[in-house]
Amino acid sequence: MKRKTIFSMAWENMKHRKLRTTLTTLGVVIGVMAIIALASLGEGFRATVTSQIEQFELDVIMVMPGGAITRSGMMYLTRDDANNISQIEGVSVATPVMQKMGVTLYNGDKNASTLALGVNFTDFQKVYPNRLVFEHGGLPQPVKNDTIVLGYRVAHAKTGENFASIGDEITMKVNVGAWPPIWKNYTFTVAGILAESGGGTLVSVDNVILIPLETAEEIYKTDYDIIFVKLADRNLAERVAKDIREMFQNQVLALAPSIMIQRAGNILDTVQIFLAAVSSIALLVAGIGIMNIMTVSVMERTREIGILKAVGAKSRSVLVMFLAEAALIGVVGGLVGIPAGYGLAYVLSSGLSTIRAQPETNPALSLLEGTSLTITPVFSLTWTVSAVIFGIVVSVLFGWYPARKAAKMNPVQALRYE
Amino acid sequence: MKALLEAKDIKKAYKMGKVIVPALRGVTFEVAKGEFVAVFGPSGSGKSTLLHILGALDRPDEGKVFVEGVDLSALSDNELAEVRLRKIGFIFQFFNLLPRFTALRNIEIPLALADVPDKESHERAGEVLQLVGLEGRLNHRPTELSGGEQQRVAIARALVNNPSIILADEPTGNLDTTTGWEIVQLMKRLNQEQGVTFVIVTHDPAIAEIADRMILLKDGMLEGVEERGGRL
Repeated sequence: MKRKTIFSMAWENMKHRKLRTTLTTLGVVIGVMAIIALASLGEGFRATVTSQIEQFELDVIMVMPGGAITRSGMMYLTRDDANNISQIEGVSVATPVMQKMGVTLYNGDKNASTLALGVNFTDFQKVYPNRLVFEHGGLPQPVKNDTIVLGYRVAHAKTGENFASIGDEITMKVNVGAWPPIWKNYTFTVAGILAESGGGTLVSVDNVILIPLETAEEIYKTDYDIIFVKLADRNLAERVAKDIREMFQNQVLALAPSIMIQRAGNILDTVQIFLAAVSSIALLVAGIGIMNIMTVSVMERTREIGILKAVGAKSRSVLVMFLAEAALIGVVGGLVGIPAGYGLAYVLSSGLSTIRAQPETNPALSLLEGTSLTITPVFSLTWTVSAVIFGIVVSVLFGWYPARKAAKMNPVQALRYE
Repeated sequence: MKALLEAKDIKKAYKMGKVIVPALRGVTFEVAKGEFVAVFGPSGSGKSTLLHILGALDRPDEGKVFVEGVDLSALSDNELAEVRLRKIGFIFQFFNLLPRFTALRNIEIPLALADVPDKESHERAGEVLQLVGLEGRLNHRPTELSGGEQQRVAIARALVNNPSIILADEPTGNLDTTTGWEIVQLMKRLNQEQGVTFVIVTHDPAIAEIADRMILLKDGMLEGVEERGGRL
């Protein structure tokens, strides 16, 4: 029997029971919609996370005290540590940095809480040439002890008014003890204001102030919190990170963004598969619906099946006719499920963005502000096609049992059926 | 002359719960090409069972049926379907049209099953509709047709693949006398003008009247054969 005839007959049969067909198809629509929506949100999430991680400089490794195995002893890194790291093959710069929280700046009646980084400006600029870009001012040559550079958001306070301008003398109040706090005031002259540098969760310089490393050493009298390592080539990241960890017997963290991307990718794959599995359940339920409705339909059409067999239809033809109906439900459900899935993905993503869009008030955490996740769904052809094909396959598989039941009917008994 | 249809000692029994009810108890006869045969008998005499077995819809418990010399007992279910499709046409008491399809589509179903190309299929359907006198009603669904018209569609469907033989089960049983007579005339005309062979299971004396031969069936056995040489 010609395929065209089979499908046109199936179509007419389905049209005849519009409500029933629509409801059965709706199950497939919902299943395909769920898969496409969740998969595209998952892809969107992946894109967001990846782009956030990619804002890190991929050729920079951050070394911090405290390793995976033990946190014993090491609180700070030393200048020797930095020198040793710079000897590792593939390292072009290794510069120690102090990172101090709980800093308050005063300029007249204005104040700002922030995070202070004590850096060697020359080396730090080599590590982050794209981040140490000045909007106003610049570094005096040579750098003076009271030089302070303000991050973009520190300088442009959120209220709209500027916190300070170039040449302003500002007071910095710092806690030089740990606990109990010992507060001291220092005076700095604003030499430069950085242009906005944007995301990158750990090294955003928008919310920090930079002071010379020597000045920071004088104030805090400690060793260093982080060593920034610039690589000759980003592909060396994994190997160099491993060398560094070995050098310190695993008592340091060596964070390489490229490794993070890889790990995040693995996690996201798992999340994606999980989402697909969950949404597939909807499709399986739809399949059971198809089986249920078709079994009823086969019963109702027993006589019709008898007639078809009497005029010469083979069991196989009857089987194919009923499978065609199941397949049509799958195809129509799948095709409607595509726009429905895209629509649902947009609705969900805008819902998620609304929940997340709350400004961070804790200044220490404001470093993380760039991470407020806006997930834009990413539609991939692979997921769309797979979802539709899966919908059709499920429909046909679950249609198989009732279709076989129809095909196996005894024609004489079927003809007698009232 | 070689028989077109040959039934040899056909036996068939049904199980009704635990009781075995014999429907046919050894029926033997032949139908020659171009004959118009009526199988007469009271209800429960096994007429319909016989017709189903002759038409390759059912298999006998014992005995053999030959259609154009081919032993049906040697054929698989698929091959029997092929025999029904190409060699046999069925006409039923309750017409048995597919309710959702138009008259034309109903007639085209056997053509579609036989993989006849679209153009040829339309032509052939048009031809048989003309033969049964239904040219104007081809796009009506069965519910929009009278009983007589429905039976004409059924006859057209039975004719459409040029079968060797048409088997009819009480074709006038669900029609009033006038309409029934029209259907009888139509079948006889097809028999005489087109040479279509008919075997008709019936109670209707009008059919007995015009049959070439009448086979009497009672309690699953052949009671007699009456040569009538019937004419319209």
